[in-house]
Amino acid sequence: MDHSDLLQGIRQAIIDGDEEAAKSRTEAALTASLEPMLALQEGVQGALNRVGEMFETGECYLPELMMAGDAARAAISVLMPHISAADQDAARRGKVVIGSISGDLHDIGKNIVSALLGAHGFAVVDLGTDVPAKNFVDAAQKHGADIIAVSTLLTTSRAFTRELVRLLNDTRVRERHFVIVGGGPVTPEWVKSIGADGYGRDANNAVALCSQLLSGRQRPPLEEPLCIGALQ
Amino acid sequence: MGKLEIIEILQRTRTGEYCTVRDWDIKRIPAVIRQKLKAHGLEKTCDPSNPVNSDDSLADAFYKAGYEVALELGMLCETTERIVRISEEELDAAVELAPSELLVGEGSDGTKIKARKPEDPYPMVFGASMAITFSEENWPLITEGIAREREVDILEGPSLVTVHGLEIPSGTPFETLAGYIHGRMNRQIRERVGRPGMGAIGCTSSVTEYGQLASYGVPGGFRPTDLSLVLFPSEMKVTHTVLHKVVHTLNMGGYVFAGSPSMIGGMSGPPEGSTLSAIACALLQYPVLQAHAGGGEIYDIRYLTNVNREGLWALSVTHQALSRNTHLLTHAIASEVSGPVTENLLLETLVGVATIAASGTAIAAGPRPAGGKLAEHLTPLECRFAAEVSHKASGLSRKRVNEIVKEVLPRFESRIKTPDVGKPFREACDLKTLQPTKEWENMYIKVKGEAIALGIPLDPG
Repeated sequence: MDHSDLLQGIRQAIIDGDEEAAKSRTEAALTASLEPMLALQEGVQGALNRVGEMFETGECYLPELMMAGDAARAAISVLMPHISAADQDAARRGKVVIGSISGDLHDIGKNIVSALLGAHGFAVVDLGTDVPAKNFVDAAQKHGADIIAVSTLLTTSRAFTRELVRLLNDTRVRERHFVIVGGGPVTPEWVKSIGADGYGRDANNAVALCSQLLSGRQRPPLEEPLCIGALQ
Repeated sequence: MGKLEIIEILQRTRTGEYCTVRDWDIKRIPAVIRQKLKAHGLEKTCDPSNPVNSDDSLADAFYKAGYEVALELGMLCETTERIVRISEEELDAAVELAPSELLVGEGSDGTKIKARKPEDPYPMVFGASMAITFSEENWPLITEGIAREREVDILEGPSLVTVHGLEIPSGTPFETLAGYIHGRMNRQIRERVGRPGMGAIGCTSSVTEYGQLASYGVPGGFRPTDLSLVLFPSEMKVTHTVLHKVVHTLNMGGYVFAGSPSMIGGMSGPPEGSTLSAIACALLQYPVLQAHAGGGEIYDIRYLTNVNREGLWALSVTHQALSRNTHLLTHAIASEVSGPVTENLLLETLVGVATIAASGTAIAAGPRPAGGKLAEHLTPLECRFAAEVSHKASGLSRKRVNEIVKEVLPRFESRIKTPDVGKPFREACDLKTLQPTKEWENMYIKVKGEAIALGIPLDPG
């Protein structure tokens, strides 16, 4: 089997959302001397890009997007020990801790953002719904998150986003994490008023936001939040 | 077989089969939906070129498949990660024993919701509005403006964003206080506009059980003859928060008004899958939530609306399936994306409300200007227009409504992703008289005239 077949095998396993196949085909590719970085960039990332496109065009749906993210993580876990620390840093797009904040049991929007971030190569730690501010902070510390992404569909839950930023300040870890907020009642004005770093109107905006936040030399907290896709 | 008691449902949330939320979402729901679509030959039956279905056999086939989905999946209790399964006998009994009529409110101000069939001339009841957030200063004004609209049958109304000037964090005593104030003011407003017996839906200022406990059935608040809003957080799932509301509503001798959102592109996949999920959710609301009225809401995950082609098609099939095969008091929402003082808001309302009215829905709620995303983007005028369409499009044939939809959709569908959010309440209305600005009123007159010309027998006024 030549290298293009091996790469195609990894890609297809991820597109199919097949964790076991993604893992075993990645192991087989390494045994066959495929360059780990090539497998990561053209195999795993290529597949994730394709799945992202398929979701956009309605060729696949949220479960497939989430399963592809799981399969990609399985492949990456095989590859990472074989990639130099320097290359790992270069390949790493950043780690995001995400959840719907206290009182909010809505998960659809959060799930889409989580899945799309995964599909774009971010390492995502999904805390679920109804997550207290303290749990966001604890999880961000534990996982070394670059970004804390908060979803809220309710004004009554939105209030806790202010508490989250306050808690990060009070525990003196605010400079370690960007804080981004999205969901129905969230506006750029709100994000600015609570001292968060970014807003995205939809899931694609959220992905672009995370990419932009981590692409430069800027460090949290930002003086002015970065807002993408606001309704006019 | 008698009705399943709520205590049995509560126990099943503790003893049912264990399943993680993730497995439920990405494995169980998609697998059962896919299998049923295939087994019943329903794959790729969505016809975006004809957004309003008029094929009875298709609607019936979806009902049969959706019924099977309800039995096979049941509901996952998200709080305990246990599956609440319902047997065929239990589901049949719950549906059979559900009311086919309900007087919401009291006396001559009350409104009778009746089970309808597709093309039924009995008017679809309309409750306004969705829970758009308002300041404490403007909330009483907009709520009164809506209550004054005589076409609006039931007062739902916007939600409060603060209480005594302070934020309302979910699950805190602030929310309990907000619920209490909301319930009392809603009741006082109905009395002030001379409609003391008008029915209401509450409580939109609180999503957790705290606002419900503080407002529903308490002295001066929502009465047990009002509808108690009990919504699933997402398709095929229930939570203890939701069940708290059910227990409280039943304790008060009130009416459980249930709903759940199925998402096109979400866990149930394509429009056909979301239709099955919506039918299954609507059926399961009767045994699991002991619903008196309940719905099958559908939104397209890409735009968070249902006034696009796929959304309208799915809504039409879901409600035709339910209304043709049961006597349930079904509920639907037409969810707009444009805002007040735009013609598109009225056009979106027109197609959405006419579609569900012709499909046999018993009660609609709305409108949701600007997708409900912007504070204070709501006026009484679009509530009036939606209620007028709700009443007058009832009785129209589905084929006729399909033609109307096909005529109107091209005027706004290119803007669904980038809607004009229009103007907020204070810029769209005179805050003293609560009347619309001339600009907004002229748009209403124009679109109303167009609707009449298209065949919706609205009163030209």
